[in-house]
Amino acid sequence: MKRAALLVLALLVAAGAAVAVTGRSLPDPKVSPAIATRTPDPRHGAYVAVLGDCAACHSVPGSPDLAGGLALPTPAGPVWSSNITPDKVHGIGVYSFTDFARLMRQGVRPNGERVLPAMPYTAYAKVSDEDLHDLYAYLMQAVPAAPTANHADGVLWFARWPIGLWNKAFHDDSRFAADPAKGASWNRGAYLVQGLAHCGTCHTPRGPAFQEKALDGRSDLFLSGARLDGASPINLRGNTADGLGRWSADDIAELLASGRSAHSAVVGQMGEVVAHSTQFMTDADRGAIAAYLKSLSPAPESGRATFAATAASLDAVMSGKQTDPGALRFMNSCSACHRLNGDGAGRALPSLAGNPTVLAQHPDTLIAVILKGARMPSTAAAPSPMAMPPFGWRYDDREVAEVASYVRQSWGNGAPSVSAGQVRAVRRALGLATPGR
Amino acid sequence: MSKDTDRRAFLKGSVLLPALGAAACSPPATHQDDLAASAPAAATPAAADYKPAFFTPAEWAFVQAACARLIPNDANGPGALELGVPQFIDRQMGTPYGAAAAWYMQGPFFEGKPEFGYQSQLTPKQQYRLGIRAIDAWCAKTHGKVLADLDAKTQDDVLKQVEAGKVKSDDLPLDVFFTAFLLKNVMEGYFGDPMYGGNRDMAAWKMIGHPGARADFLEWVDKPAAYPYGPVDLHGRQA
Ligand code: HEC
Ligand code: HEC
Ligand code: HEC
Repeated sequence: MKRAALLVLALLVAAGAAVAVTGRSLPDPKVSPAIATRTPDPRHGAYVAVLGDCAACHSVPGSPDLAGGLALPTPAGPVWSSNITPDKVHGIGVYSFTDFARLMRQGVRPNGERVLPAMPYTAYAKVSDEDLHDLYAYLMQAVPAAPTANHADGVLWFARWPIGLWNKAFHDDSRFAADPAKGASWNRGAYLVQGLAHCGTCHTPRGPAFQEKALDGRSDLFLSGARLDGASPINLRGNTADGLGRWSADDIAELLASGRSAHSAVVGQMGEVVAHSTQFMTDADRGAIAAYLKSLSPAPESGRATFAATAASLDAVMSGKQTDPGALRFMNSCSACHRLNGDGAGRALPSLAGNPTVLAQHPDTLIAVILKGARMPSTAAAPSPMAMPPFGWRYDDREVAEVASYVRQSWGNGAPSVSAGQVRAVRRALGLATPGR
Repeated sequence: MSKDTDRRAFLKGSVLLPALGAAACSPPATHQDDLAASAPAAATPAAADYKPAFFTPAEWAFVQAACARLIPNDANGPGALELGVPQFIDRQMGTPYGAAAAWYMQGPFFEGKPEFGYQSQLTPKQQYRLGIRAIDAWCAKTHGKVLADLDAKTQDDVLKQVEAGKVKSDDLPLDVFFTAFLLKNVMEGYFGDPMYGGNRDMAAWKMIGHPGARADFLEWVDKPAAYPYGPVDLHGRQA
């Protein structure tokens, strides 16, 4: 997962006279005094760690849990996730709770050094004192200390300086403020989505300095779909074609629990989110997230896809006279699973008609799936990891563009076509070769 | 041809067997499902400039003559020669199949009933080596010419007799060579996916109306009309 790591490039550009501004005085994480006498609950803290998906970045296979070591590539060099076990030398064993809260809210280490926003403190700032307190207790008391050394810093030595400036310009370190006009479930959902579950770090579009264009529901750009690392996290707002407008709250909750729904199945990074985090949430929390997402107004429609189901695409194929190369390729390579009418088969083979991943403004996920295939996560609710084979070895950029365009413009899907250049860019981002002919 | 030649041929054959047998016992090449390695095969080599890697010139003439008669070019469609079947079989002999690498090839060897399957210790390569030699020797004795030099009608007649088990050899049962190898491999090269080097331009599939390697036709099963689209091969090429 590379996530927000590209930030650094913009930071370097913005650096300028930043050096003077980045003083060493430690910011105040504004922890309530009541926490001093509170008894934390490490068991609930373990659940907070699941909600926050810390393991996604801080655990790597073959290394102790939460001992760090994942490289997130940035233009300024790789940033390595840290050892966050309570080891006193290599981990965060010497962090006080205030130190921990400062890191989680302002991205500042006890020694004043700034972490890159690849660590999503931009979202975790919303987390309550109590949840952080429990999370801290879990990390300090329940996680075994691992003496795994952190990687030598991979980013260029001056890359951390401008982050103070960037934080001043873009970071909102205030806590989540509940909306008294809304119910408890809605507020819980908003709290999770904006904070711990950090959905916005992937799903909110980014501005020129790679900042998220919105951090909460006050702007209709929040969660309106983005683009990162050869993928395009979809629009989670109420738009009927590329958003969740036609989904019920139950559909969303089902997808978060099982990785699949009547409308689609998760692929790529969203598969990891479901596998490591959302499938372990309580039904109430998934329901709250779904209720909150369903309350989001549609993002501005201009330039977005449309959807109006039609049988014309199927009829054209069944007439025997279809000559469009994309349509023929879909018939040759895709229809056995996704069917000629694009409907797929229940929860086993996702429908492509009206599928927000297919209709997304940026077709990167669609292209990536065709090039390298996909495998659903195996979840307790739906254990079978149904898979799609890769086609990047079989079709060149133009051929992939043709079939992707057909998928984006059939069965009522109305999204712009895909160019060979777009396919080439994703192929390069994924490090895949072009088929030899 | 004299009895003498026959016996010498037989001796040569027996010398050949252990040598080839040793190759057949070497561990089978591991087969990996590696998509990168399954890039499209080079287009079926044209007959004109093809240099057989396994067959000797005499054998090559036999294989071409047999192919031309087993699936001739006629009003139904192109023949095995046009679709590159001789080249296919020559290259097939270079695969693990040619050396029977994946078969159980240790004794004891009995003459079993057909329902017990292939019982011989001969690999496909040995079948061709010995089978062609025996049939050509029989043709030479009976008709004064090897198979390739006979006219088409006589060639058909010879092949029919071989298939019916009427042509005998001390080296091997020629009807088994004919049905289990020669005819079978010709059909494989003619009807198989072009990625294996035969069935040039999917012409065999076009001839019989086979739609090729699409995985599923559910939408079409209750349609009364013939399937309207041309074939597609395993590498996604359409014809
Ligand atoms: C998207 C990836 C990602 C996620 C998710 C994530 N982190 Fe991090 N975290 C990082 C990276 C990368 C660093 C190191 C940043 C740097 O060196 O600038 C880091 C650093 C830290 C540090 C600083 C440790 C130190 O002194 O180096 C702490 C503490 C931490 N994370 C805790 C957490 C917790 C707790 C969670 C879950 C609630 C979490 N992180 C989730 C990527 C992530
Ligand atoms: C063998 C069956 C199979 C074939 C053939 C197949 N797919 Fe898929 N496809 C799947 C499965 C299973 C998934 C779900 C994978 C996942 O969720 O990780 C999927 C997922 C997708 C998705 C993402 C859907 C979503 O909801 O995010 C798209 C887009 C897609 N396929 C397009 C295609 C195209 C285009 C082709 C032909 C080039 C094709 N598929 C061929 C089985 C198949
Ligand atoms: C690490 C980045 C990342 C995070 C964090 C993330 N998503 Fe996603 N999400 C993606 C990507 C990439 C896609 C597009 C792939 C796909 O459609 O499955 C996606 C797709 C989705 C989809 C559509 C799935 C489909 O198959 O159509 C939903 C719904 C969704 N995300 C909800 C959420 C929610 C809710 C959260 C927070 C709990 C979240 N996501 C957090 C990256 C992320």
